[in-house]
Amino acid sequence: MSQEYFLEVRGLKKYFEADRASLFSREPRFVHAVDDVSFNLNRGEVIALVGESGCGKSTLSLLLMGLEDPTAGSIMFDGRDITHLNDHERKSLRRKIQMVFQDPYESLNPTQTIEEIINEPLLVHGIAKDKKERSGRVIKAMEDAGLKPAEVYLNRFPHELSGGQRQRVVIAAALVLEPEILLADEPVSMLDVSIRAEIINLLAELRITRQIAVIFITHDLGSVGFFADRVAVMYLGRIVEIGAVLEILESPQHPYTKALLSVIPVPNPRLRHERIILQGETPNPIDLPTGCRFHPRCPLAMDACTSNDPPFITLSKTHQAACLLLK
Amino acid sequence: MLLKRLGWALFTILFVVILNFFLFRILPGDPARQGIRDPRLSLETINAIRVRFGLDKPVINCFETLNPIKIGSCGVNPLDTQFFIYVGNLLKGDMGTSFYYNRPVEEVLGERLWNTILLIGAGQILAILLGVIFGLFAAWKVRTALDYTALISGLVAWSLPTFWLAIILLFWGTNMGLPIGGKATPGMSSYPFMDQLGDLFQHLFLPTLAYTIIYMGEYMLIMRSSLLDVLAEDYIMAAKAKGLSTFQILKDHALKNSMLPLVTIIAINLGFTVAGVIQIETVFSWPGLGGAIFESVGRKDYPLLQGAFLLIAICVILANLIADLTYSYLDPRVQVD
Amino acid sequence: MKLTPTPKNTSTAKLSVFWSSLRRNPMGLVGLAMLAFIVTVAILAPLIAPYDPKSTSGITSSDIYNPPSAAHLFGTDDAGKDVLSSFILGSRISLIVGFFAAFISIVIGGVVGIVAGYYGGRVENILMRVTDIMLVIPDLPLMVVIIALTKPSLFNIIFVIGIFGWTTTARVVRSQTLAVKSRKFVMRARAIGAGNMHIIRHHVLPLVLPLLVVQAVLTVSAAILNESTLSFLGLGDPTSPSWGQMLNFAFGRGAMSTGAWWVLVVPGFGIVWVVLSLTLFGQGLEQVLNPRLNTHHLMPGKPTVQNGRVDLDQEKGALLEIQHLSIHYINEDKTAARAVEDISFTLNKGELIGLVGESGCGKTTLMLSLLRLLPAAGQIVNGKVFFNGKDLTALSEEELNTVRWKEISIVFQGAMNALNPVRTVGDQIAEAITKHVPAMPHDKLQERVTELLDLVGIAADHKNHYPHQYSGGMRQRAMIAMALACDPQVIIADEPTTALDVMIQAQILELLDSLRKKLGLAIIFVTHDLGVVAEICDKVLVMYGGVTAEYADVDTIYNEARHPYTQELLKAFPDLTKPKKKLSSIPGYPPRLDALPAGCRFAPRCPIAFERCRIEQPSLHAVGAEHFASCHLVEAVQ
Repeated sequence: MSQEYFLEVRGLKKYFEADRASLFSREPRFVHAVDDVSFNLNRGEVIALVGESGCGKSTLSLLLMGLEDPTAGSIMFDGRDITHLNDHERKSLRRKIQMVFQDPYESLNPTQTIEEIINEPLLVHGIAKDKKERSGRVIKAMEDAGLKPAEVYLNRFPHELSGGQRQRVVIAAALVLEPEILLADEPVSMLDVSIRAEIINLLAELRITRQIAVIFITHDLGSVGFFADRVAVMYLGRIVEIGAVLEILESPQHPYTKALLSVIPVPNPRLRHERIILQGETPNPIDLPTGCRFHPRCPLAMDACTSNDPPFITLSKTHQAACLLLK
Repeated sequence: MLLKRLGWALFTILFVVILNFFLFRILPGDPARQGIRDPRLSLETINAIRVRFGLDKPVINCFETLNPIKIGSCGVNPLDTQFFIYVGNLLKGDMGTSFYYNRPVEEVLGERLWNTILLIGAGQILAILLGVIFGLFAAWKVRTALDYTALISGLVAWSLPTFWLAIILLFWGTNMGLPIGGKATPGMSSYPFMDQLGDLFQHLFLPTLAYTIIYMGEYMLIMRSSLLDVLAEDYIMAAKAKGLSTFQILKDHALKNSMLPLVTIIAINLGFTVAGVIQIETVFSWPGLGGAIFESVGRKDYPLLQGAFLLIAICVILANLIADLTYSYLDPRVQVD
Repeated sequence: MKLTPTPKNTSTAKLSVFWSSLRRNPMGLVGLAMLAFIVTVAILAPLIAPYDPKSTSGITSSDIYNPPSAAHLFGTDDAGKDVLSSFILGSRISLIVGFFAAFISIVIGGVVGIVAGYYGGRVENILMRVTDIMLVIPDLPLMVVIIALTKPSLFNIIFVIGIFGWTTTARVVRSQTLAVKSRKFVMRARAIGAGNMHIIRHHVLPLVLPLLVVQAVLTVSAAILNESTLSFLGLGDPTSPSWGQMLNFAFGRGAMSTGAWWVLVVPGFGIVWVVLSLTLFGQGLEQVLNPRLNTHHLMPGKPTVQNGRVDLDQEKGALLEIQHLSIHYINEDKTAARAVEDISFTLNKGELIGLVGESGCGKTTLMLSLLRLLPAAGQIVNGKVFFNGKDLTALSEEELNTVRWKEISIVFQGAMNALNPVRTVGDQIAEAITKHVPAMPHDKLQERVTELLDLVGIAADHKNHYPHQYSGGMRQRAMIAMALACDPQVIIADEPTTALDVMIQAQILELLDSLRKKLGLAIIFVTHDLGVVAEICDKVLVMYGGVTAEYADVDTIYNEARHPYTQELLKAFPDLTKPKKKLSSIPGYPPRLDALPAGCRFAPRCPIAFERCRIEQPSLHAVGAEHFASCHLVEAVQ
């Protein structure tokens, strides 16, 4: 592929050393948190990374943010290799890639005011030394994040705000640096159902008004339809299927994607349908299954699946899946 | 895990030995140098000490003496330095000679060690028992008069200087006709065993009472707050939903869980309890290790002081090890294999 | 939340909040007052002392050990000096040593704790090992040795107490730093690009500081105790007599035998006063900074009352019938939070009802009240709970214990917390059986436990494992096995799948559904997830702000909802069958139960609310057979 992408992730791996099996075993064991992940992202595009806990999506987000060092692989951003950077380069890159966290109750320092929180990134990066300019940027970011009028919130503490408002504060603190990529790690899973949509809609809006590309990490395949352009489904540290959002939701090809889609509750009792319920739980990422790592739980597993690690099969220009059945 | 803990305890003991040796040589008033000038010792004893401590030899490689610092040869045989002679003597069970008693330190302390263990043992057991019981009631009946009484008396007990409480008890005990010091009434050894035992109890009563009051307050406060935490847990509600009675819930679900932090605190506190013992033994002239420390400071009996400190430290380290192991036995979440 | 602009100066605002909560803390206040008193005495000491303790002029042998009199309020000591004057001047020494030694300890402990906690790894390992050694080595003997070998000057005493008093602080600060460091806002700061120094200054320190202050207060009291002990043992600075030294002289110079109690009592009283004041103040601060409710599950509940605002029906013969149930939380200041108001529903054998609502809508309160498991502040203020003809609200605690678990059991939200961590899972299941079938022999009991675990798909060899050895899904299954232990007729499942992965959630739902069919269980399924309800429930009760918004069979709720809240909630829920549909949200947030709006509780967020909705609370209207909604618009239609 010679086309240049805005963000390009190639063969990314992250292994953590696990506790040794016993005092006497010499060989270190590894948690294969992220194991050979590749995908790319265009300017202003929204990609959803979907998977259950233990699939490696959180580690992947830390790798993309440079908060963990990858074991192998590369990350290219805007034509530049950003896999390994020194502190100074990393810091200047942070202005371009910002993150929104899962829990808005936890991701704000309770002793800071909203103004201090949103001003902090400017302070850290030494942007806009002029106080007036700084407060202008803070207010702009707040209003873009839907905290209007900003003056009402400036001197508040996080505990005085509702969950939705706090998540807006987190988003404003990211926007103030004018990033080009926003990494949203389960931004709505801790919020009440009735206000989830307002945060998703806000992110969708920002993408249009600010041309921000969004990496949307979630466990809820049901919530990505309206917002995402493309979806990548992860299982045990790997992407098993990736494609345009309707390709994934309407014609999933990988058995895991199919199962995951089938168990998402549909809010209509008239549409109760057969669910493919996988038995057991995701195996631990220390002792990975041989062959296809999904085979022990796969309802369609064949003999070949126990020994052959399936390669990606291209199904359309955008759609790829890794399953031996697709040959 | 067990090996690791054991190794750690040994390492700590080694550290204490090193500290004990060098402290007395870095700070002014080297025991050996002091001792040699001590007029209470006979010439033969002084010579014996000289040989035993190797006082003509360097303190350790590279250093002739440490106070004042005098650099010496680094090439000497390490086994021929004061430090290793000291360690060697310790391994043989030789802790030196008390200036005051003119007897081997280990002999003097040997008798006293058991007296201290008796006092601490009786005091700790009572303090833990009463602390747990009162703490349990205070937490169960939280925000009642009972709880507030327990809380306030706990805080007051916590604020009492041990020696002062001991003095007050002694003052009171004297008026009540209780024995005011020592371990036995003089001449008691010719009486029957049961009488001797009764006499011992009489002597033990006040020191143990002082010890119990001081530590019970703390244990009660810890038990109370840890039980309050436990009783607010969901599994207590689950136990209630199962239809268990209050007594069953306290016994089967709350007690063990809330004892865990207490065990940790007891383990951590062992080092501090020694402070209490020194004060109590001093006030009641109880012939134990703590009293020995106090007396030897006054008498400048440094070998005894050094020995008592080492012995106490080793006891605390071992007790700490035991508490540690108890904790991992009680809590399945901590594994010992 | 409605917010108005706040005053500009936020740091004074923080302080005033702190002060107002300290004012309501009697312990802290008493401690502070006691401390202020003794500090004043120490500052003014030379002015208020009636005699100069350093001067010996005019003292004769007849002045020795004189009991308290008008001339000497606290009597005289072994040298014939005025005890009160020595006492007043002694306060200075105690406080000086206490504050300076504690300063040394807090600086060392704070730095060690923060560095170890923040940087972790090898640095932490070494620092904490040193701390461990310091903790184990008995400190008093070591202090005694050091001071005995050096000169007992005030400076030496402060220094020695200071360098031995930091270990507790280091441990406490380290664990607090670890806790702060693992919080998401620190990671967010790193993601912003902040360096270590920035994070320590702006994020770690502000959160460690309150703890450090508490620790400082407690360290001062410990230092004062240590100083008095050293002085009592004769190691005090002879040029500056402290309370401990007064006691040393008195004890060593015959106060005991002469019966001069005042020389023994007065200085000790001073020490207790200072140490107690600091302890109380420290504890008070701790309570203010770390408020604890001090309530627990074994506190006696409030008695059920029938305020009778609604006429109660007769029992209709369903398995479980909840009639007009209202629950209030009565707070300390006597304001009542109306957590649940006038809820009614029925449950028949084998039926599965979904109880849906957002967080804080009172659904958990309602469930707990059925078995009278409410927290101590909760009170049933009206209504009945009929189970097989018995009114559970009227039973005694002993009678209720025979219904609990045997007839109605609960699958708690978050199984990790609902299982006792130090007992094996099998043991906890067996316990429930033994309680209700005490005669069951041991081998039969174990067989039954194995059978129950098998029923929920847990292999028998996990029976003797502890909860922490189970995965999240397994714990939830074990919780279900436990709920089934006594063959109950009703199971209350309180958010049993929240926080579980979708696949595990599907497994648990399937399990509950199959058990219902196999065993004929009636289930109350509490959840915030409309999708889950649609999958398995027969009928649904939608709660909002403590009241019934809508109650109907499942098909009606999803296809013919009449209450605006139900309608809006459905629009906010993503639907896989219409993947590209834009989701809508309900603006605002659910009401706080202690600050409910005057009219309809949903009115502030309702897109079609009108004047009446803000004034009058709508009652529950029947809009069809077994279909109820509480909305003024529904009434208008009829």
